[in-house]
Amino acid sequence: MAFNYDQYLRLEKMPTLWCWGCGDGVVLKAFIRAVDKLEISQDDMCVVSGIGCSGRFSSYVDFNTVHTTHGRTVAYATGIKLANPSKHVVCVAGDGDALAIGGNHTIHGCRRNIDITMIVIQNFIYGLTNSQTSPTTPQGMWTVTQKAGNIDPTFDGCELAVASGASFVGRENVTAPKKLEKLFIQALEHKGFAYVEALSNCHINLGRKNKMLSAMENLDWIDEITIPVKKYNAMTPEEQLNLLPTGIIKQDTEVREYCDMYQDIIDVHQGKRGKITQDDFVKKI
Amino acid sequence: MAAMIAPENTPVWVDTARCKACDICVDACPAGVLSMQQEPTSTLGAMIAVIAADACIGCHECELVCPDFAIYVAEKKEVKFAKLTDSSKARQEAIANNGYRLPIDYKEN
Repeated sequence: MAFNYDQYLRLEKMPTLWCWGCGDGVVLKAFIRAVDKLEISQDDMCVVSGIGCSGRFSSYVDFNTVHTTHGRTVAYATGIKLANPSKHVVCVAGDGDALAIGGNHTIHGCRRNIDITMIVIQNFIYGLTNSQTSPTTPQGMWTVTQKAGNIDPTFDGCELAVASGASFVGRENVTAPKKLEKLFIQALEHKGFAYVEALSNCHINLGRKNKMLSAMENLDWIDEITIPVKKYNAMTPEEQLNLLPTGIIKQDTEVREYCDMYQDIIDVHQGKRGKITQDDFVKKI
Repeated sequence: MAAMIAPENTPVWVDTARCKACDICVDACPAGVLSMQQEPTSTLGAMIAVIAADACIGCHECELVCPDFAIYVAEKKEVKFAKLTDSSKARQEAIANNGYRLPIDYKEN
């Protein structure tokens, strides 16, 4: 006996269309193990994905799935969650989907703190469209659009999510599949917006001109630039430069969840309670 | 708990219809159980093979890192797994240094 992933997969779609060694498959496996461990029924889970290599995620899993337009995963997921507050809604997006074209939706999802788990598969490049500079591409790297080396400053998705008000923010690396699985479990259990960044490899489109021709070389590089968050916090700002912390970066259980607050609105209109005042919230302005 | 029936007395087995020959599992295996072999019909000209099933220590590393659902490891209670030996480590090193393929003239110590 081994763990049977097939019961959560659409077998007619196998093998996956991802390149050999792609980290997306590792993220998919870790996610399936997390769902299995929490014993969530396949009917109680909705996976929403956008466009990009990560967009194929929803085609492979046998849950309720929606394959949406580019960058609008959070917008669709918000609607699904408000209509079905008792179900689990998971967004899957790539770095281009979540931070470039869909950056606006991501920050407002974080701000509302709606109970969605957002998995961002971050591979530092626009992989599907062949190596254009993404907001997360490290400076100095070769891309198709910046052949002399990328000069654009780099975006930190987790810091953006913390600043926008997400109540759970975490990051993990595909070279640690067990830790990734644990992070997914914590994110799925968390009530509120959970932003989980999975650092993944794209040796085909990032690595081929950046001296990382194989998946292993690319994964070694990701290992080099990541560090557990506890060690990261003990460092000086100079040492923190060019490093990304992994683990749970923020977890806040005090903030009210959006579906709860929406229920208050329904109650007001049904005459079950008085109007909503500032006293209903922990944080007031 | 989900379950998948293993072939009898097999610690590790592969689904060659799903494998894309990315070498990650061969790199992850500490005991030199897995190796790539030449396969002209495969896209990358190679295919995964279990070359030393007896040496498998049951660490599940290959199963965890495989992105294509192609490799499976039995559970501890079903199969008696081996201990990590020096000859397993030497074989792993030889495979890794030879582009993830077992050298043709490789001899066990």
